Amino acid sequence: MMPPILNPRVYIGLLTLSAILLVPFAAQSPFVYHLAIQVCVFAGLATAWNIVGGFAGQLSLGHAVFYGIGSYSAGLLVSKLGISPWIGMFAGAAISSLVALIIAYPTLRLRGPFFSLATIAFLEVVRLLVVHFEGWTGGSAGLNIPLQVGLPWMIFREKWAYLLVAFGFFLVTLAVAWMIRRSRFGFYLIAVREREDAARAVGVNAVRVKIGAAVISAVLTSLIGSFHGMYLTFLEPSSAFSLELSIQIAMFALIGGLGTVAGPVVGAVLVLPVAELARGWLSAFGNGTHGFVYGMLLVIVVLFFPRGLVGHLGQYVLRLVDRLPNGYKPKVTEPAKMKVKLVTKSLGKPILKAEGLHKRFGGLKATDDVSLTLHEGEILGVIGPNGAGKTTVFNQLSGFIRPDQGGVSVRTGGEWSSPRSPETFAKAGLGRTFQIVQPFSGLSVMENIMLGAFMHTSVRSEAEVIAREVANLTELTALLDTEARSLTVGGMKRLEVARALATRPQVLLLDEVLAGLNPADVARAIEMIKRIRDSGISVLMIEHLMQATMALSDRIVVINLGKVLREGKPIDVVNDPAVIEAYLGKGYTHAEAA
Amino acid sequence: MSIFIQLLINGLLLGGAYAIISIGLTLIFGVVRVVNFAHGEFLMIGMYAVWLLAQYAGLHPYASAVLVAILLFFFGALMQRLVIQPLLTADAHIQIFATVGVSTALLNLALMVFGADIRKAEVTLGTEQLLVGSLNFVSGQVITLVIAMAVAVGMHMFLKNTYTGRGFRALAQNRVSAALMGVNVNKAYVLAFGIGAGLVGLASGLLAVQYPVFPTVGQYFVLTAFVIVVLGGMGSLPGAVVGSLFIGLIDSLAGYYVGPALKEVVYFLVFLAILIVRPTGLFGLGRGSE
Repeated sequence: MMPPILNPRVYIGLLTLSAILLVPFAAQSPFVYHLAIQVCVFAGLATAWNIVGGFAGQLSLGHAVFYGIGSYSAGLLVSKLGISPWIGMFAGAAISSLVALIIAYPTLRLRGPFFSLATIAFLEVVRLLVVHFEGWTGGSAGLNIPLQVGLPWMIFREKWAYLLVAFGFFLVTLAVAWMIRRSRFGFYLIAVREREDAARAVGVNAVRVKIGAAVISAVLTSLIGSFHGMYLTFLEPSSAFSLELSIQIAMFALIGGLGTVAGPVVGAVLVLPVAELARGWLSAFGNGTHGFVYGMLLVIVVLFFPRGLVGHLGQYVLRLVDRLPNGYKPKVTEPAKMKVKLVTKSLGKPILKAEGLHKRFGGLKATDDVSLTLHEGEILGVIGPNGAGKTTVFNQLSGFIRPDQGGVSVRTGGEWSSPRSPETFAKAGLGRTFQIVQPFSGLSVMENIMLGAFMHTSVRSEAEVIAREVANLTELTALLDTEARSLTVGGMKRLEVARALATRPQVLLLDEVLAGLNPADVARAIEMIKRIRDSGISVLMIEHLMQATMALSDRIVVINLGKVLREGKPIDVVNDPAVIEAYLGKGYTHAEAA
Repeated sequence: MSIFIQLLINGLLLGGAYAIISIGLTLIFGVVRVVNFAHGEFLMIGMYAVWLLAQYAGLHPYASAVLVAILLFFFGALMQRLVIQPLLTADAHIQIFATVGVSTALLNLALMVFGADIRKAEVTLGTEQLLVGSLNFVSGQVITLVIAMAVAVGMHMFLKNTYTGRGFRALAQNRVSAALMGVNVNKAYVLAFGIGAGLVGLASGLLAVQYPVFPTVGQYFVLTAFVIVVLGGMGSLPGAVVGSLFIGLIDSLAGYYVGPALKEVVYFLVFLAILIVRPTGLFGLGRGSE
């Protein structure tokens, strides 16, 4: 996956990066060298932090833990056992990934400030332990790195050598972040950050994705920490494991732009030299100057540029860059025609079975012994008055709620299986939409659909092809490049369907996709659902719009008070006195009789 | 045995100091739904103000506590109005960064103005040793605990019995519905933030008798206050009081039986356990409030 070098975005990016090397070599001043090394280190740390804090949206304020572990592991191994830091840094990375697992697993379900507080607490615990076990670590007095000069010891006489090594660490980190952002894994991270439920419905294992991000970020942070320890040649817990350092790392990412690849780099490159210079100019005021600059910048950025420099200015810069000569022509793959299987009207074999579902919420029996079967090529409508328990049944059918009793099974080929979580349901071929639409609003329509497509392919271009196919079927082709948040209600509902379809389901569960649409959109949606069925997908739909349900469904199940009230052909169901009573009450039947 | 009782008493007295800080923090979180990472720096400002008043105006910290409480009320109100209010609908991470930024700026400002030296107001009232049998008290700690409990009861009455207090409680439950019922959201938030900060001002007067002031003094207290507030349940007044006493006890007992260096490890571990097992805390508002 090499970036195309002739694309102006790529060559300008590489030129800008090389400036970090070229400027100090041109200036030949020790201070500029030092500044450039610090920029590389902090740009690298912020980039690594951004994998968790930006891509995955988990705001860690304890990232110094991994920095500290990295620097201490390498430092202790070299000073106590004489092991080269080039080896020691991997020992540190191994410990860091273990610690990341220990931290990530229990804190995953914490959100916002609670996650941040937990990471601070972990940082404090580790720092206090490092101080306490002074026999090993040197305690609060700190640890001096033995000054053995030479490449094997990562300690040099010349600053430029440090700069080359620092730049190398930074480039590796940046490359990892860039690849993650472009890959399926990166899409999944953003999906989990924005809407965990919708992500799970397209087969994303949210836990695994978040832990993966935490571990990768920890390893990178730790490696850079090892190097920085060797550069500083002195380690102490109060700076290596400090909250201040954690905040600083996160701050560069925020100022540059959270969740973008370039953001953390831009943040570090612009802010760090300014703060260091301010420290020089305002040295009369003592120690706090650069910290004060950081704090003020943070407040100003948050108030006026919450999306960071890249978020606010990135598009203008890109537009300028795109005017430069472009020697790279991307290959555009034409969407293949959706294969339309003609399905006979007769019922196929069962494909989805729910047997004896029970679910209680406290004293409320939300689902009371519901059984239903969906056949191949069928459209099954589920209706019932408000509060009847339709959505609860639906959530059990897709794994979002576990039934107290009974079970749901899906047939794949000839095999029946009983998935247990939303993502395994999705993998078993069951796509669903949400009644309250859950678009990934920051992503384009194309990227939204690709998220579904990634269930069967990890290759970006293949996912794009699938997305185009599905967009054809759902009349979204013209809107592929718009941001999902700017769609109309009808468009969002179709996008829900498209994302589910892109997972290539055998069964599609539609939760009130017609609700709230204007008549023209309803007509389009009805046609769409027919096309979906004709392409060989079985459909189970909850719907309030009676006429549409009547027109579409082969069979209808009526649910009332958590039970199946009636099941049968549409025409039989609507004329059933019990159904009429459930909807309109006893008075209506009496009035009819009178 | 008498050592154990002495430790219990020390713990409860320490809890009193934490309680005032935690009540302010939990009020701000409960009503405004923002975790104020700058809370510790409010305390630091308050303690410097108290120290300055003692040094240059000869005021006893207890006398300046009220003045400083008023000063910090306006400071907190200003912060709510200028920093938090524009970000009310922003993502949680933006709000976190905002208060973290204020915290960093204030801490370093103090470092620039006062340097890293440790300062302490030297007074006699509040530092006397009281002996009851074989038990030992410091008068200031007893005063702090008494005032903390009075503040807790007063705050409880205020939340229960006044229109503004009921407005606070309504806002804690649902911002939009409270607005529909005629609560002036922005005004109430400014007030709540101000009161939360004002309580810290009061605390700084009380604490300045026992503790010295230095730029990072706030972090020392506020990390503990976060532990307490999460333990008791974010936004819960009784939770903050019980949590304070509990952490005070852990501090004192673990400091003696486990070792002074590791007592913080003990309560951070308690904190993590609570976050993981029951993130809404002991008296939390239930699922979803986290």
